[in-house]
Amino acid sequence: MRKQTPAEKLDKLIGQLQQPGKKTLAPENSGSGEAIELARLAGELRVLPRPEFKTRLRANLERRATMATAAKAVPETQTKITPYLSVKGALAAIEFYKKAFGATEGLRFMQPDGRVGHAEISIGEAKFMLADEFPEIGFRSPQSLGGSSINIHLNVPDVDVLGRQAVAAGAKVVRPVADQFYGERSGHFADPFGYTWVISTQKEALSTEEMHRRAAELNAQQAQADVDDAKSSPTEKLRHLMPYVIISRADKWLEFVKDAFGAEEIFRAKSPDGKSIMHAEVKIGHSIIEVGDTNDQNPPMPTAMSLRVDDVDAIYRKGLEAGATSLQAPSNPPYGGRGASLRDPNGNHWYIFKSEPGSDVFHGFGTVTPYLHPVRAGRLIEFLQRAFGAEETYRAESPDGVVHHAQVRIGDSVIGMGDAHGIYQQMPSTLHFYVRDVDSVYQQALRAGAKSIRPPENQPYGERNAGVQDAFGNHWWIATPLGSQS
Amino acid sequence: MKVSNKEADERLLVEAAQKDPARFTVLYEANFERVYAFVARRVNHRADAEDITAEVFQHALENLPKFEWRGVPFVAWLYRIAANQVMNRWDANSRESGNSSSTEPSVDFDEAEIERTERLSKLFRHVADLPADQRRVIEMRFAEEKSIREIAAKLGKTTGAIKQLQFRAVQALRERMHGKVGKSLGGRNA
Repeated sequence: MRKQTPAEKLDKLIGQLQQPGKKTLAPENSGSGEAIELARLAGELRVLPRPEFKTRLRANLERRATMATAAKAVPETQTKITPYLSVKGALAAIEFYKKAFGATEGLRFMQPDGRVGHAEISIGEAKFMLADEFPEIGFRSPQSLGGSSINIHLNVPDVDVLGRQAVAAGAKVVRPVADQFYGERSGHFADPFGYTWVISTQKEALSTEEMHRRAAELNAQQAQADVDDAKSSPTEKLRHLMPYVIISRADKWLEFVKDAFGAEEIFRAKSPDGKSIMHAEVKIGHSIIEVGDTNDQNPPMPTAMSLRVDDVDAIYRKGLEAGATSLQAPSNPPYGGRGASLRDPNGNHWYIFKSEPGSDVFHGFGTVTPYLHPVRAGRLIEFLQRAFGAEETYRAESPDGVVHHAQVRIGDSVIGMGDAHGIYQQMPSTLHFYVRDVDSVYQQALRAGAKSIRPPENQPYGERNAGVQDAFGNHWWIATPLGSQS
Repeated sequence: MKVSNKEADERLLVEAAQKDPARFTVLYEANFERVYAFVARRVNHRADAEDITAEVFQHALENLPKFEWRGVPFVAWLYRIAANQVMNRWDANSRESGNSSSTEPSVDFDEAEIERTERLSKLFRHVADLPADQRRVIEMRFAEEKSIREIAAKLGKTTGAIKQLQFRAVQALRERMHGKVGKSLGGRNA
């Protein structure tokens, strides 16, 4: 047999060292001699770092250093909000957030009793804190409170991927991931600890105006869906003839209707300069009122509206408290029920009423119904019949021909009116309603004697509309949602 | 007390990096082998050693603004961070596997321990200073855990030649560790 060279002998020893689990040389190899000494050194080389690792880590640190420099430029005194979650089972929650969101744990303090006193968690750049619940100091978890009113909005690079990961870790889908009109793609996920995470990925960078435009479009689509719904369902639905209140300080008015009548604001679009309200919508009961600030094109048009309530006296008082003035204190009118009148701070009239059960008066009125005071109600009714196919459903007329109260139905909506008299003088109003075919209704209205305000045109907010003015100065805006013409 | 030049130099490096994080790489280059040696001696897998070494430097970079100069070498701070990270990893691993039987790693660092760590890091640096062909063989054989046959194929040499290069490299390393060849090391590590 050929004698082993020193190089071969060393390699054989190295080979032994590199067997898994091997830490020392076999006993027969201990002792002295150059080969053994070299093999020992080789043993130490087993933990030699990979040069590639050293290079990669350096690059990683350089990148982090650049980010740190950028971050340092932000003043350290900046205002910051960090969610602090109270959870039942904080340790399990930390593990869940790691699995679900790829979170990392920064800091953890344990209490002697085994509860987590404080922990800091990061998801990417975002940080939040959590601790076990401490009911003894009023720090309670959603599980003991029966839910949380706070949702956490989490921006991530890919909501679909993270959503799936969260579900795999045990989150439940509350609202599936979908594209949103404001340029995000997001979904709602409930974690097992009672918190809902709105996970979101920015898809488009939109201006506020663009967001409002898309919101209006969506609203129009919703309105059309409601119209279709109303046609298919006999139950009471949203009324599609809406008063459009044009006033100054619409923002104040929104506060008034909320305070006085419990109105719910469902939409608000500000003018591009942000100073005034271009368009807003409030809902009272089943009715919607549209409102906008007056401007050069739109002179103020305060409106009279009937308001159906359960307790006339209480709502009248609330109206006064909210800043309205009394036109007529609550009383029992000769036609039954109870009524009172207010003038709100923006000049609109409110005829608060509770109708007599079984009475034809106010039959078909929604929660809010526009009320007009033309000089001659009879002539307005004729116009509405010819222009819009309105149907007269009620009229109370005195022998001298004065119409005290009349009602006409247009489509699925009713409007009320009474001849101008006393404190109830003409209040030309703007009304907005949906029809199947705006172009033919517009032509029909012109033939009935209306003046054109604007011929039909498509609007960026998703409807085709036209405006006409009647002989009494009322503006009628007729609209067809785009894409719905038959 | 007279402040040694080495300490003053290091302090300047730390302060420069505190002002400008981009300067941190100087501290990284000066301490990488030490930290890696410290960690590698205390974990069983290369992947753990790399993960923890990365965590130590990332943590150090992030917390550098909080570092206060107290006359202790900068590397002592790095060792402290490394010791914590090794313990965290051990905690996490034993929790995950549900077995706490694996022995807790020793993270005490007395002078003898530090000396052994310094020695090992010195060995790593000597590897970097070997002639290029020897260095490549040592890196591939030990750091990349390749066989003689694989290295021979990659470098286009015979297995005998690779074994010879390996032998000469280890010999050279032993000589350098014994200070027989000073080369550029006197200035750097003395």
